Amino acid sequence: MADYSLLSQAIIEGKGDQVAGLTSEALNTGAKPQDIISKILQPAMSIVGEKFSSGEYFLPDMLMAARAMNNALTILKPLLADTGMPTLGKVVIGTVKGDIHDIGKNIVSTFLSGVGFDVIDLGEDIPDNKFVEALKENQADILGLCAMLTTTMPSIGTVIKALEEAGMRSKVKVIVGGAPVTRDYATHVGADAYAHDGGEAARVCKELMTARGAD
Amino acid sequence: MAMNQRQRLLAAANGEKLDKLPFGARIDLWYNYNSAHDTLPEKYKGWDQTAIIRDQGAGAQSRFHTVVKDTYQNVEVIEKNIPPYVETEYKTPIGSVSRRTLFTTTEGPWIGYDTEKMFQSEKDYPVIEYILQHTIPVLDPNFNKAQTAVGEDGIMMTGAGRASPAQRLMRDIMGFDRFFYELADHPVKVESLLETMKDMVRRQHEVAIESDLEIYYVGSNWSDDVHTPVFKKYFIPWFQEITEFLHSHGKLAMAHADGENRRLLPFFKETGIDVWEAWTPVPMTSVTNTELRNAVGEKGIIWGGIPSILFESTYSNEEFDQYVINMIKEIAPGYNFIVGMGDNLPFDGDIERVGRIVELIEKYGKLPVSI
Repeated sequence: MADYSLLSQAIIEGKGDQVAGLTSEALNTGAKPQDIISKILQPAMSIVGEKFSSGEYFLPDMLMAARAMNNALTILKPLLADTGMPTLGKVVIGTVKGDIHDIGKNIVSTFLSGVGFDVIDLGEDIPDNKFVEALKENQADILGLCAMLTTTMPSIGTVIKALEEAGMRSKVKVIVGGAPVTRDYATHVGADAYAHDGGEAARVCKELMTARGAD
Repeated sequence: MAMNQRQRLLAAANGEKLDKLPFGARIDLWYNYNSAHDTLPEKYKGWDQTAIIRDQGAGAQSRFHTVVKDTYQNVEVIEKNIPPYVETEYKTPIGSVSRRTLFTTTEGPWIGYDTEKMFQSEKDYPVIEYILQHTIPVLDPNFNKAQTAVGEDGIMMTGAGRASPAQRLMRDIMGFDRFFYELADHPVKVESLLETMKDMVRRQHEVAIESDLEIYYVGSNWSDDVHTPVFKKYFIPWFQEITEFLHSHGKLAMAHADGENRRLLPFFKETGIDVWEAWTPVPMTSVTNTELRNAVGEKGIIWGGIPSILFESTYSNEEFDQYVINMIKEIAPGYNFIVGMGDNLPFDGDIERVGRIVELIEKYGKLPVSI
């Protein structure tokens, strides 16, 4: 591929107004849409995640980067009708029942999409059985559960129990997070992993996919 | 004569040296949830929150009252109750905006959560500016009733609104993500709206300062998500202005600081804020009590230190006790510290652990701490 560092840089710096033009330029020079995604956009979002985890970037920087990436995807997605989007795996994600907070979950969704996961975002206030149904329907690899309140945090455990009852627990990896959720709590309720933020979630989900391959 | 709980909490907030650690408990989330579901412990059925806290031996926090309430000139406010939502429309001569607020029993302290914000697009700037310009704060007579109700058992935790002007735009008017998109796309309009908001909040404080309230909330529920450059540019100068105003009237400024604040810690001291309440350390955040003390200085008043999840059954009584003892050791000599939850007793938390804290303070929390 030619040097598309300007496009990569525009994503990293969240310059959404420049991204559409640079994406069209890349296409005009013969770059394939799936290559633009997998070789420019996704690595750029990984860099954004690393910058957040290292303390250089803040949450709004991630928001701006994600918005910039979506500008590129708006152009690229219609061109991928035949080949489909390159994907690292399928993630079903949602905020547990009774919890209507969406920002943290949205950030994680954006990050997972950004680095190459196929994300099915169920939204907020999701009953246990909806998670189970969505996992079955989409044959997903990973379930992401978010709770932002101590009042709703126990629902993480009930979703995991529902997975067990449906005989699906061994088929899916569960990652959890949210303001009151800690690493210890994740272990306590039987989750496979915990992430503190979107950048960590992207890294941990990649590790979970590797672990799935080894299972 | 021994001090009552109210006197102890106020003395500690003013930096006075006490004989033992003061403790101001917060249980509204637990109380409201269990009252609504008829699951309060048998002993406490029919009791009010303050009476329960008194029975456990702690000082009380009385919340969700306002010192000022907003009235409007040339703005028609129409509220529609569509359970579980309340839709509020603001009609002005130059246009209308509306918001949709959800009230749910999982939203802990029963504060509403805006599912649709007042600001939806660029066209809403002038209408919202008009509403803010035509907002007339007046003293809320219910404040005095609430203060009388809590009496000697504790103090009022309120102010002239819960948040700083920038945070009101970010959280109440626009929503977090839209605020940052707007700041990137229309910075001049955002800053103009912020100036109008500041003027309105100044008017609220000019009214509120006439009340008997001793400690005023000036900020709440922020975290590193606020974005450090935004905190420096839009939050700190405001805190400096408003704390100077409060101090000039013999009042204190307080922040509800229960989020993940590692990146904002270095800027806490220069805000001028006196009391850092609902302080939530490790394991619910990444910051220790020692790190906060270093950030706010010896004279900063820290209120909190016990994360909510410690009250859950996932932690045994022994683990809970050990946490509290370790915390007391960590904060030695213990002055300028009020023990409290970060930020609440969870709905399924153990109310008896409030009493355990009181006992542990009696045993280990004499000042100066010497364990």
